[in-house]
Amino acid sequence: MADKKFLDAMKKKFSEDPTEKTTQFYNMGGWTQSEKKTAFVNEGKEIAKKRGIPMYNPDIGTPLGQRALMSYQLSTTDTFVEGDDLHFINNAAIQQAWDDIRRTVIVGLNTAHNVLEKRLGIEVTPETITNYLETVNHAMPGAAVVQEHMVETDPLVVQDSYVKVFTGDDELADEIDSAFVLDINKEFPEEQAEALKAEVGGAIWQAVRIPSIVGRVCDGGNTSRWSAMQIGMSMISAYNQCAGEGATGDFAYASKHAEVIHMGTYLPVRRARAENELGGVPFGFMADICQASRVSPDDPVKTSLEVVALGAALYDQIWLGSYMSGGVGFTQYATAAYTDNVLDDFTYYGKDYVEDKYGGLTEAPNNMDTVLDVGTEVAFYALEQYEEYPALLETHFGGSQRASVISAAAGCSTAFATGNAQTGLSAWYLAMYLHKEQHSRLGFYGFDLQDQCGAANVFSIRNDEGLPLEMRGPNYPNYAMNVGHQGEYAGIAQAPHAARGDAWAFNPLVKIAFADKNLVFDFSKVREEFAKGALREFEPAGERTAITPAK
Amino acid sequence: MVQIYPGTSQVAQNRRNFTNPEYELDKLREISDEDVVKILGHKAPGEEYKSVHPPLDEMDEPDDSVRELVAPIDGAKAGDRIRYIQFVDSMYFAPAQPFLRARSYLSRFRGIDTGTLSGRQVVEARERDLEKLSKTLLETEYFDTARTGIRGAGVHGHSLRLDENGLMFDMLRRQVFNKETGKVEMVKDQVGRELDEPVVLGEPLDEETLRAKTTIYRIDGEAYKDDVEAVKVCQRIHVSRSFGAFNPVTGW
Repeated sequence: MADKKFLDAMKKKFSEDPTEKTTQFYNMGGWTQSEKKTAFVNEGKEIAKKRGIPMYNPDIGTPLGQRALMSYQLSTTDTFVEGDDLHFINNAAIQQAWDDIRRTVIVGLNTAHNVLEKRLGIEVTPETITNYLETVNHAMPGAAVVQEHMVETDPLVVQDSYVKVFTGDDELADEIDSAFVLDINKEFPEEQAEALKAEVGGAIWQAVRIPSIVGRVCDGGNTSRWSAMQIGMSMISAYNQCAGEGATGDFAYASKHAEVIHMGTYLPVRRARAENELGGVPFGFMADICQASRVSPDDPVKTSLEVVALGAALYDQIWLGSYMSGGVGFTQYATAAYTDNVLDDFTYYGKDYVEDKYGGLTEAPNNMDTVLDVGTEVAFYALEQYEEYPALLETHFGGSQRASVISAAAGCSTAFATGNAQTGLSAWYLAMYLHKEQHSRLGFYGFDLQDQCGAANVFSIRNDEGLPLEMRGPNYPNYAMNVGHQGEYAGIAQAPHAARGDAWAFNPLVKIAFADKNLVFDFSKVREEFAKGALREFEPAGERTAITPAK
Repeated sequence: MVQIYPGTSQVAQNRRNFTNPEYELDKLREISDEDVVKILGHKAPGEEYKSVHPPLDEMDEPDDSVRELVAPIDGAKAGDRIRYIQFVDSMYFAPAQPFLRARSYLSRFRGIDTGTLSGRQVVEARERDLEKLSKTLLETEYFDTARTGIRGAGVHGHSLRLDENGLMFDMLRRQVFNKETGKVEMVKDQVGRELDEPVVLGEPLDEETLRAKTTIYRIDGEAYKDDVEAVKVCQRIHVSRSFGAFNPVTGW
């Protein structure tokens, strides 16, 4: 048996050898074989007794557990968990990953500094910037700086809120109090740091984190408003402004509109969401939010698949799995992309194939011949694993799971070969066709309809018909109800940049803003964090224990 | 020859056979009309068909050239409601497979609406027409008693390993293997309601027959990658769709 990365998981999940084609059913003890579901039953009984309304009862409806209720290994970790542990409602790490994105906005200080210096003749120095940052770090969590007799937020509830700055100017960065600086030189490998600093130049940007709890009570659209209000007040205080003078309007305009980068764009009315909601986060942003590229720069597979995991949890489980569909999470097939080392096995195979065939990554011609070669090779390899290892086929028991994983591997591998996300995307679609013909099945209607027409807009870069993959997102035409795809698309957007050793995929400011040790969720090790969440070892922010009765 | 499906393998030939309406499907078993009705579970055997509109002859329909051109199917003529049958095809060499079903249904049956997923394949039609096509689907090589499931709901099983009797997993255990007779019996209708008497579906096909009739490519059967012609056509479709939308003349 070859060294397949998914075999350890298969051996743990099932009692039979992974190549065994028969097994036993109907004698597993139903839901009682699951520790988690057994606990749910006990909890449900307690709750029902207390509230007088019946609750959880797995004996209602379809008979759970007629076959082995298998465990799942978080890929690249040693952690095995039950499927229930990866539901976003049961996993505080997944929730916090979303919180940390939704509560972030990047705001320039450059317009404000210009107004201060050129219009008002006020000198801006590293010392005044530090003073401003001290002020805004008092105000951003919800404290007052301009008026007396104001009500304020309890620091224990909003302790995750702060503001840091970054710049490409090393000298300026050195002179600002280091407590407030995202140090590009410290966080990134040297080459990446140089590229990022060159892109940022002498500009200075704030990575603003409003409190997690504000995003939960209000919405993503509130992030830039809350941020702008506190920035405006802090400017007035730090630079001794008149609260009503014209310049304050400019500060407000800059921090609300002119120099603001939202993590997600506003969605059209038919989806009715403001900025900083998941449906507006472009795949390239998701790739840049993930920080695996700076901690594992020599492992393009890991770098890309960490992005896949982040996207699968957020786009599939939270955005499409609940926001858009009203469903309860789509956990089962979203998690296929980041559990049991299956996608990892397929993608490392593709990377090795590319290196052997083309003499290295990004060496292949960026054309359809490479798409056909790498896409076909990887798709066939992946499909064959399901045929050689019945345990693997049973693990990914839905065609949508297999389709996503197979096509993601084909797409990432092709992007490794060409250094271009568009050809990677083309291989995704090719793999879908090959899968459909080999097994005479794919996903479900809503899943694969876009896979059967998407090839037509891969190379058609026209408004509303095609975009570079990095700029596409969940709201792109045809992708809007596209579960099991979007995390993978984000991974394919990352893949060429990982292969090229790029410091970022789409936006250098986003990449830097998330290179931040003070974030609650560690975006450099997504799957490890999800595992901690599954084990109930992840400590989230924005908890209400400070304002609720002690238990 | 009609270009129904490319490929030089037996799987490709089987796909052509199913999809070619001129090809006469092997009849492998006898299922009575009454048993078909029981399996479907939409009405009791002998019960009148429920109507959703009066017979077309009694309806004062506006003049319409399409109505002139298209002869209504029997169920539409009578005003029957629309009902369904849904199959689950094991990836372990079941004869029919989901997209093959869709493609072949559309060339064999009129007045249908069919939907294809990885783990189930539904076809809807007016009730009396549904019964007729269901009989074909159950009696012919479309069906194997062990590897094909008739399941309206609770469908998981197509990708799961087989049980010790070679049957596909079914959480509701609608089709069960009778060890004494060696035959598979349907003890519940397609949505899992118990039947008064089991419907005997017959013996499972042997492995050799299944492999000869299957329409799925597998490396432990016939590998798709070895069917060079079929793969080339699939790749050509990909290239054509990709370039056709960009620059059909020069590509990119």
